[in-house]
Amino acid sequence: MKKMNNKERTFALMTIPILILFFAFNTLPLIKGFVYSFTNFKGYGTYDYVGLRNYMDLFTDGRVGNSYLFTIKFAILTTIVVNVISLILALALNSKIKFKSALRGAYFIPNILGALVVGYIFNYFFTYIVPAVIDMMGGKGTSILASTKWAWIAIVIVCAWQAVAMNTIIYISGLQTVPEDVYEAGAIDGATGWQRFKHLTFPLIIPFFSINMVLCVKNFLMVFDQIVALTKGGPAQSTESISYLIYNNGMSGGQFGFQSANAVLFFIIIVLFSVAQLTITGKKEEQL
Amino acid sequence: MKGKRKGLLWTAAILSIGGLAGCSGQAKDGKIEIELVHYKPEAVDLFEEMEEKFNSTHDDIHLTISSPNDAMTILKTRFVREDYPDILGIGGDINFSYFVDSEILADVSEYEGLSDIKESYLDILDGLEFVPTEGIYGVPYAANASGVLYNREMFKEHGWEIPKTWDELIELCETIQSEGILPFYFGYKDVWTCLAPWNSLAVGLAPSDVCQQVNAGETTFSKEYRETSEKMLKLLEYGEEGPFAYDYNSACTAFANGESAMYTIGSYAVPQVKSVNPDMDIDSFVMPGNEKAKGNTLNSGVDLMLAVTKECENKEAAYEVISFLLEDENVQAYINDQNGVPCKKGEFTLAPNLDGMKQFIDEGNMTDYQDHYYPAEMAVDAQIQTFLIEQDVDAYLKKFDKDWARYNRDIIRKVEEYNEENQQKGE
Amino acid sequence: MEEKIKVKEKFNIPVTILLFLGLITIAFPLYMTIVIAFKQPSEMTNSISGILSLPKHWSFSNFAEAMRVTDFWRSLLNSVLITAVTVVLSVVLHSMIGYAVGRNKARKKWYNLVYMYVVSGMFVPFAILMMPLVKQTAQMGIANIFGVILCYVVFYMPMNLMLYSGYLVNIPIALEEAARIDGATTFRTFWKVIFPIMKPMHATVAVITALSVWNDVMTPLVIMSGSGINTLPLAQMSFQTQFGTNYNLAFASYLLALLPILIFYIVCQKQILNGVVNGAVK
Repeated sequence: MKKMNNKERTFALMTIPILILFFAFNTLPLIKGFVYSFTNFKGYGTYDYVGLRNYMDLFTDGRVGNSYLFTIKFAILTTIVVNVISLILALALNSKIKFKSALRGAYFIPNILGALVVGYIFNYFFTYIVPAVIDMMGGKGTSILASTKWAWIAIVIVCAWQAVAMNTIIYISGLQTVPEDVYEAGAIDGATGWQRFKHLTFPLIIPFFSINMVLCVKNFLMVFDQIVALTKGGPAQSTESISYLIYNNGMSGGQFGFQSANAVLFFIIIVLFSVAQLTITGKKEEQL
Repeated sequence: MKGKRKGLLWTAAILSIGGLAGCSGQAKDGKIEIELVHYKPEAVDLFEEMEEKFNSTHDDIHLTISSPNDAMTILKTRFVREDYPDILGIGGDINFSYFVDSEILADVSEYEGLSDIKESYLDILDGLEFVPTEGIYGVPYAANASGVLYNREMFKEHGWEIPKTWDELIELCETIQSEGILPFYFGYKDVWTCLAPWNSLAVGLAPSDVCQQVNAGETTFSKEYRETSEKMLKLLEYGEEGPFAYDYNSACTAFANGESAMYTIGSYAVPQVKSVNPDMDIDSFVMPGNEKAKGNTLNSGVDLMLAVTKECENKEAAYEVISFLLEDENVQAYINDQNGVPCKKGEFTLAPNLDGMKQFIDEGNMTDYQDHYYPAEMAVDAQIQTFLIEQDVDAYLKKFDKDWARYNRDIIRKVEEYNEENQQKGE
Repeated sequence: MEEKIKVKEKFNIPVTILLFLGLITIAFPLYMTIVIAFKQPSEMTNSISGILSLPKHWSFSNFAEAMRVTDFWRSLLNSVLITAVTVVLSVVLHSMIGYAVGRNKARKKWYNLVYMYVVSGMFVPFAILMMPLVKQTAQMGIANIFGVILCYVVFYMPMNLMLYSGYLVNIPIALEEAARIDGATTFRTFWKVIFPIMKPMHATVAVITALSVWNDVMTPLVIMSGSGINTLPLAQMSFQTQFGTNYNLAFASYLLALLPILIFYIVCQKQILNGVVNGAVK
């Protein structure tokens, strides 16, 4: 081993033990799961190795394919919606307003509720309240949760309603790191409104933007609770997310081996997604 | 300051874990420990009573009954840990088949109490094994019955008669509709509710062992399930508008509030309906799927069985517990609590909501749920929902056959191997 | 200086009004939760009035019943214990590795690899880890609260590492160099200089971690099933059985479980808002 100076040794000591813990409870089980993906394991009892059969099945299974399409389109739309809303909200909540902390507290409430609870509430909302309101306005209201075409929009709304809160908080803490004198300097240059945001504020909060993007994409690709509470994958299997399929068929069903293969594929896809994202935002950061 | 707080929390954490260990380590002064885990959390109060009663009357055995929520996940994770309870209280469904196949359950054919159990239910368990396996792997305890629940008061008021054939049912629906009342409330948003009418129609219209027949390559679902599928579609005409918007809870609420005259669901829904309308007079009848009344059979499966695990160290003690639970008094208490049908022979008082089915129960004219043979991951419930939305019988049946072959190929291979072996032996 | 104070006193009234209007989207679902929590199942009809009307009697019987069914105080204690220990461990351990990795990843390949390795752990679907973890924790003899906490500390490490090392970008390295010139060791510099400065991020991490742990069902369900120890979300599962759900009791119970975490958030919010960094940078 190369000679380490004191500083480097301390850094290593701060990192390695935590890394070992991480390996033991994340990587090790992942490797075991990877091994199971070559079996017809049900999760318990005896099993046989089936080679690459599970992986080959993945590409011919229509249900798996649909779940990827649904999940990806859902994640992209929700990420955009959430980031636009929460950036606007963060700017508003960070501006000079009355009742600042009360308002910030109130806007955070959705995030405190568990995803299942939120799902149940909105279930009532979409099933009874929205159609009744449309009826009152002279239309013919049906629940969008019953529509194979539109049910996924309901899930976007519910996920966004809840996720906006956390993203706003992260944006606010980003905006807090923007020192006042930046604005003062900007004011001297005559920057206002959108100009000020685009050239002064936004570049400074890019690290927070990239964190939010990655968190959003990751959370929404892994959407699970909202599906359970709102549609259970229906109607007509149109809203089965990948996580829902993996959990439902792997745990409740007897497909643990096959769904492990699915999970491995899923893992690789999310990592690729995120690396791409980080590279793009990373380049932006460097440009500045 | 921070460090101190952290230290305190750690101490608390360690203490609580220590407390835990201390709890489970308590020796029950030489008594044999028996643990029963069952999947009916809705019966938790009753099982607590039974546990207390058992322990106060037995000096040598200490019984612990746990009624966890999501028991199947808990059981499966415990099997992974190789931590097996002594007795499982599970349903006669595909999970039971898996457990037999994984050699988790013990053969209980030596248990004397089996002679008190109705043959028809033992046969149902037998039929659930993927390949005929020597031995009996569970003691059927209670069954449920599924068909059509109806609002008895409403029926009396309008003078409607219980239908005995498919034509009579359709006629009845027309009459009800003409009087401005909704015949059925389906609540097909929860996919599993689609299975209820499906099962009760299929038992009368398809062979009871259709799944085994398909596995053996003797027939196809396209052939056997066509009539059932068509009749499922027909029933839709008599239900609420947009049934895919409403879930099971909504359907129970609607039926309880008199919004519909009938509800195609099993006896298990009665407690939920009564929670909304406690005074409602509910009865049920067997789904008349056939053109002739004779062809009808009651859709009934083993709702709760007691199965002993292979790892159970003291089978005699486990049998003692099972015998206790099978005492007439306790069986009666269970069926009162859960609106169930006893699997034990003898005279029991059934819940009033089973009046319309009593004749079938007494005659033993019962057939197991078809979906007990469907692999969960095939999601037949969701496929039925899809079919009801798209209304394409051919596409649905074609997909059913295709998916069946795929999701069951390990089982089909096993059946083939078994048949080949037996043929060779026969030669 | 004087001018700055003046600017601060000018409130942006239109934005304030818009923000209050926006609150309707949050208040309405909450209103639904509260009225449903107070109603009896017999008051629920399948119509807009059945959901939105006020309960006939405002009685706390649902709440009392929910507390009895969930064994509220004991479950609450378990939930608080698990959440508190996880949060403290996360803040200490994750900020430590966040600092070590964040300060070095630009210069050293190894730390950049560590960063990528840990952060990519965020994308592992829990379902694939579940069975192996169940087996592993059982073999290690930690199929209990302790095992659940360890799992959490690992599960939230990727995200927290990302948050901490992202935050570090905004902390000028000059601060550490100043401390080092004063003769402080690297660890001391971290603990005395960096750790306090990261306070707003601690609050964010604490809130995110606490919320996820507080509402999580799956991990305790599979890791410590059969141990007889319940957390609040685990106990709340009893409102929903296969053939019946009592939403009225369930919602009452959800509201009860909401209170402790709401208090926690209000405490942390002050920390986030303090803007410690601004002071330190200046």
